[in-house]
Amino acid sequence: MKIKKKIINLLVLSLELAKAEFKLRNEGSYLGVLWYLLNPLLSFSLLFLVFSDRLGGDIKNYSAYLFLGIIMFNFFQGTTLEAVKSIISENNHLVKSLNFPREALIISVVIKGLFSHLLEVCLFFIFSFFWAQNPFLIFFYLFLLILFVPFVYGVCLMLSSLTVYFVDLENIWNFAVRIIWLATPIFYAIESQTRLFYLNLANPMYYFIETARSVVIYGQLPRGWIIYGVVAFALLFLGAGQFVFGKLKTKIPELV
Amino acid sequence: MKRIVIKNLIKDFKIGFAKRQSALQRFIAVFSGVDVKKKIRVLDGVSIEVSSGEILGIMGDNGSGKSTLLRLIAGIFKQDGGQIVTDGKIISLINLFAGLKDRLTMRDNIFLLGSFFGMTRREIKERFDDIVTFSELQKFVETKIYQFSNGMMQRLIFSVATHCNPDILLIDEVFEVGDEKFKKKSGGRIKELVNNGACVVLVSHDEDIIKRYCDRVVELVNGRIKKNGPILFSKQFLRLE
Repeated sequence: MKIKKKIINLLVLSLELAKAEFKLRNEGSYLGVLWYLLNPLLSFSLLFLVFSDRLGGDIKNYSAYLFLGIIMFNFFQGTTLEAVKSIISENNHLVKSLNFPREALIISVVIKGLFSHLLEVCLFFIFSFFWAQNPFLIFFYLFLLILFVPFVYGVCLMLSSLTVYFVDLENIWNFAVRIIWLATPIFYAIESQTRLFYLNLANPMYYFIETARSVVIYGQLPRGWIIYGVVAFALLFLGAGQFVFGKLKTKIPELV
Repeated sequence: MKRIVIKNLIKDFKIGFAKRQSALQRFIAVFSGVDVKKKIRVLDGVSIEVSSGEILGIMGDNGSGKSTLLRLIAGIFKQDGGQIVTDGKIISLINLFAGLKDRLTMRDNIFLLGSFFGMTRREIKERFDDIVTFSELQKFVETKIYQFSNGMMQRLIFSVATHCNPDILLIDEVFEVGDEKFKKKSGGRIKELVNNGACVVLVSHDEDIIKRYCDRVVELVNGRIKKNGPILFSKQFLRLE
């Protein structure tokens, strides 16, 4: 009973925080929600223009392939980059003066990210009609989110608590995320590049994006080991995140 | 009924090195072993009990450990030794402005702050009118609070905090909120909570405030209790009445 109440409190607080942040972000903005879509649309148009003839020439249904990759990575990138500074620079006073479940700060970041991600998914659904592919397959993506969101949350937990100890993790992560963006097959295919392929075996984003593409674009289940990878990485990062955050969170108020 | 029981509380801070190190500095420090940490004992063997219906004042100079003690009771810091047992819902008013968002309206801020204090949305809705009425800010419910004066913000926070029905209310320095009239009102509100079985711990270095409101005072000097006893002329100004 007590645990149930704790979880409810945590979720209520996270939702309120996410709502507040959402309102703050849209304050006085004329385009409002459209801003959330502008970024993926622009990167998509640009990459499509540059690569559709070359890197993407051999890829079946390249537009969908590219767009799905971009929006998934966008969710990962946006959420983790925000989480990494969430405790240390945005809520440091709060953490020092109130005792509330610290996870709420991170969950609210993930909720906010998930919201804009779902908008992008809707956009994908609309585009599918023009790309001559089955638009309803995107609904299977929602099942993948059940694993993808905990994975992102786990990474956020780790980053947000570790930054308190390593202050320049924020900069390092900024850089690292860009490297991961280039190393993950988002605007190119990986099949012919052996070295990059082996490298990507250690890259969780590869597994998630690959699974999503198989299901949503090509309408088939991915190879078995990729599915195992998705499940394993989701559990691993969620567990590790909980562990690290749990260990460090009591020390956070003394260090920020 | 005992609301707070503290036995032999010890709290150390490690200082004397860069609090937030860069990864490289940290790395070098770990592997070179040159990471000089100086331990400072902020609280040393502090034992206090607070019963329901009591207002305890904590006095002391800057750096005597008052605020640390409050944060330990609130559960924000973890102690290095000793025991803290609390019974009931704790609300801490330590840095009053920490939970507010400037660019949101008073209505949004009430919901946000209320959830920080552990209330559900429905509970906040039920008490919303009381909170607004008590703060006397009815006209400003839809105003963004960056336009509020400090006094108005304090009134808002105090009103939300005391309408969460705390069993243990922890207040750091900021008790005297607003103008004379509101001070009286907030004193009355505190008394109401205390009469209903809550306890209040009030930290201040202002002797007048402590004398005016508290039943008992603990004086901290360098992390130890120097004095713990009733206030002789307590409530002499009888503002609470």
